[in-house]
Amino acid sequence: MEIISAVDVGIRFKMLKRKRVKAQDLVRDQINRFRNPDGDFWALRNVSFSVKQGETLGIIGRNGSGKSTLLRVIARVYPPDEGEVAVKGEVSTLFGLGIGFQPDLSGLDNIYLSSILMGLSKKQIDGIVDEIVDFAELGDFINMPVKTYSSGMNSRLGFAIAVNVDRDIVLIDEILGAGDAQFKKKADKRMAKLIGERTVVLVSHNLPTIKKFAHKVLWLDKGRVMAFGDPKEVIQKYAGDEGQA
Amino acid sequence: MRIAIHQRTWPTNPILEQFQGIWQRREVLFHLVRYEMKAENKDKVLGFLWSFLNPLLLLGTYVVLVSIIFQRGGPQFPILLFIALLSWRWFATSLSRAVNSVTSKVRLVQTVRFPLAILPLTGIAVGFFDWLFGFLVLLPMLVVFEATFSVHLLWLPVLLLIQLVGTIGACLLCAVLGTYLMDLTNIIQFLIRLGMYMSPILYSVGDRIPEDYQTLYMYVNPFAGLLESYKNVVVLGSPPSEYVAVAAVMAVIVFFAGAWYFARDEYKLVKAA
Repeated sequence: MEIISAVDVGIRFKMLKRKRVKAQDLVRDQINRFRNPDGDFWALRNVSFSVKQGETLGIIGRNGSGKSTLLRVIARVYPPDEGEVAVKGEVSTLFGLGIGFQPDLSGLDNIYLSSILMGLSKKQIDGIVDEIVDFAELGDFINMPVKTYSSGMNSRLGFAIAVNVDRDIVLIDEILGAGDAQFKKKADKRMAKLIGERTVVLVSHNLPTIKKFAHKVLWLDKGRVMAFGDPKEVIQKYAGDEGQA
Repeated sequence: MRIAIHQRTWPTNPILEQFQGIWQRREVLFHLVRYEMKAENKDKVLGFLWSFLNPLLLLGTYVVLVSIIFQRGGPQFPILLFIALLSWRWFATSLSRAVNSVTSKVRLVQTVRFPLAILPLTGIAVGFFDWLFGFLVLLPMLVVFEATFSVHLLWLPVLLLIQLVGTIGACLLCAVLGTYLMDLTNIIQFLIRLGMYMSPILYSVGDRIPEDYQTLYMYVNPFAGLLESYKNVVVLGSPPSEYVAVAAVMAVIVFFAGAWYFARDEYKLVKAA
């Protein structure tokens, strides 16, 4: 069963060329909008792919190629401006290094808040909170505000939440690159367990990680799909292209 | 190549659907409110006590200003001022929180999907708890300053409801506009201050507004009827001012305007935040 399918998806942003917007620019922008309706920036365009239940999709591409934007489309955060997306199931989200955490709240409060935002009930969270705290190895820091955390602690907590909340689809953005060697090993192991159990979308610059986990790979460049399909083939093409550049 | 404008899964929600969505995710609202209140008094020596001290100190300032410096206001002035000030403050803080409610939570907004209207509603709920704490402080003062208790006190929940409905509308409007236009933060601060002096908080209508203009004043400023009614039912033991109807009508209009505007633009906010 196809759990995520995207057809010709486009995400458009209005471009702001000037750094400082002045009052008269507001008027000029309105005029230009009619004159040049295509002066927008497409973060994604004509993106099509599909993921079956239990599959892992790897997304690769250089910085600014639209990988995180695509994750946000799957998480239903960005509605597509063009094309169609169907996502069946609840999504667990983890974007980069603890994005979405509230810095003034403790780690524990952030576990509750992000899990509730992902659609869990308080009871469900009570059941998994110990596992998350354990996995993140934060010790007493779990009661400290997140703003006091190191980036490693931040990403450990983010990863622990994302893999432990029981959702159909797990989105993971570049997290395996963070943390020390020991945690990386543990995260790798947890990932391997997760793969096959759930549908996973994995964004990473680390090609061996992608090769190891992904059943399909999507290569994005400047918001366009360069290749989609068999991991080996796509990664080979990507690596070849990188070599030239 | 097929280009379909995507409208089905992310509709520009009708108002009802909007509020159904909020109801379904009410746990998000509860927790945001809890955490907001927790964060506010955290790390302060007096902590939770500030919830009571804040309104008291504010009240004290204005009592000094009006009763001592300007030698105005009668014996019941402190409690008349207090109930009006509390209610105005609920509106004012809700509004100033709403203006950057979406932009200040940009990381949450761009990470998970949830009804964004929850963000301005959080500020309104936090503000209402402030009102409640203030009211607890007011209760013993009502006895000390010999307020008249009467059956008209039962109007209080109705007045609060009218204010709530209007505040929700105004906050939804401000949440959208504030996301598009950062300047609104400054503008709203000014308007709130102006609004406070234009409303019968430090004075009463009969006292300070020339008789010829009183009717006009009551019609133009919905807070005039509302705040006078608060004073009537809580302190004077008399029925609410008939001009509370103006506030009620305004509240409903603003509510639907805000709900409609928010529902229309909600999906744009994520990218603009």
